[in-house]
Amino acid sequence: MRVGVEVGGTFTDLVAIGPSGVEIAKVPSVPARPDEGAFNALIESGIAFAAIEDLAHGSTVATNAVLERKGYPIAFITTRGFKDILALQRHNRTNIYDLAYQKPAPVVDRRNSFEVDERMLPDGSVTTAIDMAAIQRDLVPALRDGGYAAIAVCLLNAYANPAHEEALRELLQRHLPDVLITLSSEVTREFREFERASTTTLSAYVQPVIDRYIGRFGARLGENGFAGRFSVMQSNGGRLPAENMRRNAIMALLSGPAAGVVGAARQAGRSGLESLITLDMGGTSTDVCLVEGGNPEITNEFKIDDLPIRTPVLDINTVGAGGGSLIWIDEGGMLRVGPESAGADPGPACYGRGGLLPTVTDAHIVRSTIRPEAFLGGRMEIDPGAAQEALSALAGRLGMSVEEIADSAIRIANANIIRAIQIITTQRGKDPRDYAMVAFGGAGPLHAAQVADDLGVHTILVPPNAGVISAFGLLAADYIQYESMTRRFALDQDAPGAIAGVYREMRERALAKFAEIGFAENLSLDLIADMRFVGQAFEVPVEIDAAELDGLTAERLRAIFAAAHQRIFFHGAAGDKPIEAVSFRLRVSAPVGALPALKETHEYETPETAIEIFDDRQRHTCRVMSRGALEPGAVIDGPALFEDPTSTIFVSPGWSAEADAHENLILRKG
Amino acid sequence: MAESAPHIDSIQLDPADYSVISQGLIAAAREMGAKLIRSAYSTIVREAGDASAALLDRDGNVIAQAELIPMQLGPMAGTFRACADLFPVETLEEGDFYVNNDPFAGGQHLQDVFIYSPIFVAGEIVGFAGTVAHHLDLGGGNPGLNATAADVHAEGIIFPPSKYNFARDWNGGPLERLAAANVRVPSQTIGDFNAQFAANAIGTHRVQQLCEKYGADVIKATMQELQNYSERRFRAALAEIPDGVYVGEDAVDDDGISDQPLTVKATLTIAGETVAIDFAGTCKQVSRNLNCPFSSTVSAALSCVKSALTSPDIPFNEGVKRPITITVPEGTLLNPTYPAPVRARMEAAYRAFNAVMKALAQVVPEKVISGGHDTTTVAAISHLGAAGYRVYLEVFGGGYGASAHKDGCDAVDSPLSNCANAPIEASDMEFDHFRIIEYSLLGDSSGHGRLRGGLGIVRRYEILKDDVNFAIYADRFRIAPYGLFGGSDGSRGRCEVQRNGETIPVRSKDGLMLHKGDILTIYTSGGAGYGDAAERDPDLVRRDVAEGNLSDTAARAAYPHAF
Repeated sequence: MRVGVEVGGTFTDLVAIGPSGVEIAKVPSVPARPDEGAFNALIESGIAFAAIEDLAHGSTVATNAVLERKGYPIAFITTRGFKDILALQRHNRTNIYDLAYQKPAPVVDRRNSFEVDERMLPDGSVTTAIDMAAIQRDLVPALRDGGYAAIAVCLLNAYANPAHEEALRELLQRHLPDVLITLSSEVTREFREFERASTTTLSAYVQPVIDRYIGRFGARLGENGFAGRFSVMQSNGGRLPAENMRRNAIMALLSGPAAGVVGAARQAGRSGLESLITLDMGGTSTDVCLVEGGNPEITNEFKIDDLPIRTPVLDINTVGAGGGSLIWIDEGGMLRVGPESAGADPGPACYGRGGLLPTVTDAHIVRSTIRPEAFLGGRMEIDPGAAQEALSALAGRLGMSVEEIADSAIRIANANIIRAIQIITTQRGKDPRDYAMVAFGGAGPLHAAQVADDLGVHTILVPPNAGVISAFGLLAADYIQYESMTRRFALDQDAPGAIAGVYREMRERALAKFAEIGFAENLSLDLIADMRFVGQAFEVPVEIDAAELDGLTAERLRAIFAAAHQRIFFHGAAGDKPIEAVSFRLRVSAPVGALPALKETHEYETPETAIEIFDDRQRHTCRVMSRGALEPGAVIDGPALFEDPTSTIFVSPGWSAEADAHENLILRKG
Repeated sequence: MAESAPHIDSIQLDPADYSVISQGLIAAAREMGAKLIRSAYSTIVREAGDASAALLDRDGNVIAQAELIPMQLGPMAGTFRACADLFPVETLEEGDFYVNNDPFAGGQHLQDVFIYSPIFVAGEIVGFAGTVAHHLDLGGGNPGLNATAADVHAEGIIFPPSKYNFARDWNGGPLERLAAANVRVPSQTIGDFNAQFAANAIGTHRVQQLCEKYGADVIKATMQELQNYSERRFRAALAEIPDGVYVGEDAVDDDGISDQPLTVKATLTIAGETVAIDFAGTCKQVSRNLNCPFSSTVSAALSCVKSALTSPDIPFNEGVKRPITITVPEGTLLNPTYPAPVRARMEAAYRAFNAVMKALAQVVPEKVISGGHDTTTVAAISHLGAAGYRVYLEVFGGGYGASAHKDGCDAVDSPLSNCANAPIEASDMEFDHFRIIEYSLLGDSSGHGRLRGGLGIVRRYEILKDDVNFAIYADRFRIAPYGLFGGSDGSRGRCEVQRNGETIPVRSKDGLMLHKGDILTIYTSGGAGYGDAAERDPDLVRRDVAEGNLSDTAARAAYPHAF
């Protein structure tokens, strides 16, 4: 039996796949103790712990520790003269007209920041040797007195040569054996000290949290007779054995949305679709991500609570457009949707829990694209009158009917999602028309067709049980680790040889690491080189096929890079400006192998009917049926609504729907 | 204007389309700005981000912009019009562009070069994509910064308002060659220009895509309505303020030669939903580079009024300017005449900002902030070695003034600008004539009050070669940031060089040669406090002491109630 347990903000989902098929459990989360929710789900499912051979877990414990500043006290150590880099940050403001602007609060205060005498240069040479005697005399006692649970070390230019960081750790570990120490050179090997220090301190900050959480979780599993493999989801879309995660805690940040993307990509892969835009629309926000060749795209630049992180994470773009997003008219008379949300409490007006402000869900109720009696498979009581009332106030102000304003609000919410997708497609030089969309989350399948229409996407896939795809994603995720290396050299005739050397070196390291976690075979390796024109500071990632390494030429490298630069920045294709390679990443994954299919659970059935809906400025007669009623191969033309226990799928006019052999619902344009 | 569906030029805009297109235009301007910075070459653009981008309508009115640098957002329309007056829009062809950096033709200082590319749809111009970047070095009497320039010609090359063609004149063409020949680090400067052209191409492409989807007429109508929208919101904010005449005054330390403060005076007349700002009473223009061109004065005054009175989410476009009139007597510090040098215009611009803020403090005390560092402190450290010129240019902020509800932000660029710092590791990689050996918060630099000011900055450099050229302009060395409503003043800035055990003071506007082994230190001022110090939360006082932001001695003197 393989089990995935995903702890979300509101619900904890479980997907179990065994010889007898797919089982699903959904229980309320216990926000203060995420592991409680996870064990409740396991108990609710009735699965014997001893029968589980593979348990994959995802939780918000690391993310919440940062957002709520609930980590343990940690210290920060850097080069003499620079202990304030966490407070100074980049010296600019994200809102230029806010006179009361405040910087995001770092996770380490000034009083817990320390300096050591040393200085490394960018070429890796030493200009001031590290003063170990002073460290032993002054710093060690200060750190001991501080009672820190973890220490983050980020020395200037350590990305080029980590010798001083390593020497420092060796000494500190000897004197403070119980303290977890995180080195910047282990977490990320990129220049820009603030971003690297931020990454390192965030990693150190969540380290004790994850360490204790996984320790406690593992112990309790053991007590219950679990003897299988226990793994944890990472933000890079892969999982890692739980024991190893205790040393790579930063990879647990923001892992929740990553699981959804992986699950969606895997399920779409069964239907032969590998170039995808994932659309995960929930209660407060929408997450979108691009998938190429079945692999979600990765970014090295990310922020949590406005603090930068420089480790490879899935390139998920989040926009404040969800079912609970508020619909409002601003002071200038412009109709707006989000980013504020009514949240789960009081929630949309139609929940009847005291919410008076209209939301996207209310707009669907008014347009009849959600049927009150079918909301969440009929498990929840909905007050359509409250939705009407909340929207009619706005309708009066803009001189529109209630249906018109509801429809306008949906189109504005869709536009917000479309812009989020454009950021990860057109702005990166990719054409959305080359991709299929995978829609999931409670509201994703309801909005997908109109969003797709606008982007020119003509195929949409809705996986079965779209509401628990994240838990499925845990099981579907490969084991993944990244190797990275900063090696700066010119793109000349020697470059192909140098790149082959870098590849061999990283490969060796990666193989050793995977052997350690028990995977030595069938590894898949992808090499990415970050390159730029000499003089630029930001690189363009270029994928290099390892099979091509032997016959690689400088001309070929130049051509791949120039094309990528032109796609993104609209210049660079012409000319012969010098190019350099700066850093390299190797993505190494151990596939989990064949996985039984995710199936629809046929627990919600409703008789087929026809209703009047209002969509895209017009009234339509629309078929309504339960998703399970659609036989494979049968084609239904839009407008049509398919209801299932966790979401509603809307087939717009001009689109058709068909269930395929993998229980995916395929929507096609035209 | 009544609240109703927008109705422009007989085109009825659907409210959803209008909302969607306007957000799309703003997103396009942001993409232009982000990509300009990411593909640039000089540290001043690619790390500090001293650049801005905007989309304009056919008449050169800004309709959407990447909100990067407040100071660069005001002059877009003016620099555009100076070009369009000479080379009318209807004469433009595909590939043509306008360029202008002339301080006496709508520009600010020479380093900010504005470029505008027409957006053609079906042979017709629907608008323009425009960018401005601060260029590292445009020639002139000294690398990066000429502190003693006698006139604007000594500050660099002037691109008067003109029209060129990209294919014909750039890319190895005559204009590019002329520019490259007149700057000290052409590889970086030409690279930054290319990033501007490319950003314009991106903006052009995005607007063309919108036109394809919605029709050019709908896009043009939306461009007009966006301006009306900002205007409406701005007027609504102004209407809430009691009518009256309010006066504020502040001063630049000195002109770099004498010790005389340079007075700046603002008189605000608020009447209904309009505001008139007059700078009569401001001192005469000066012989050094502190003169602030009219366009810079307008940007400074607008930024102050917008930040203080309206919520930050009102898009800044030409509509914002409509309810505001700004007048400045000619020949004064805030409206100098040719050929005044203007490189360090920001100091006077900040005092214009402060004078307006002080006037507003009398009528909307909850919305203003106390005096902060409010200065552009620019350091240029350059060296001519075997491989040519190396020019390092960095901008330092300091502490923000406190507001009615928040302590001033520590160590951040000042309100009219928004430059990031260059990472220490970037400077280490780029320059071998100096090394940064300290970068920290300056304790005890903030003014006290119910809310305290933000902390200033310390930056220390070790000079690694002989014959290193150092130039600086700064302010608040003499006149400290002012406290409001009982708050105390912030600290003054200073600059010094340690040489052979001796400390050499450097003036706020100065230049000198440095030698190997010299230690150069710049201290920027902290922000002033707001309200009575006796009312400050004692926990916050003790926290500042524990954090090292405030010494025990200073804390006990300023906040005895906390101990």
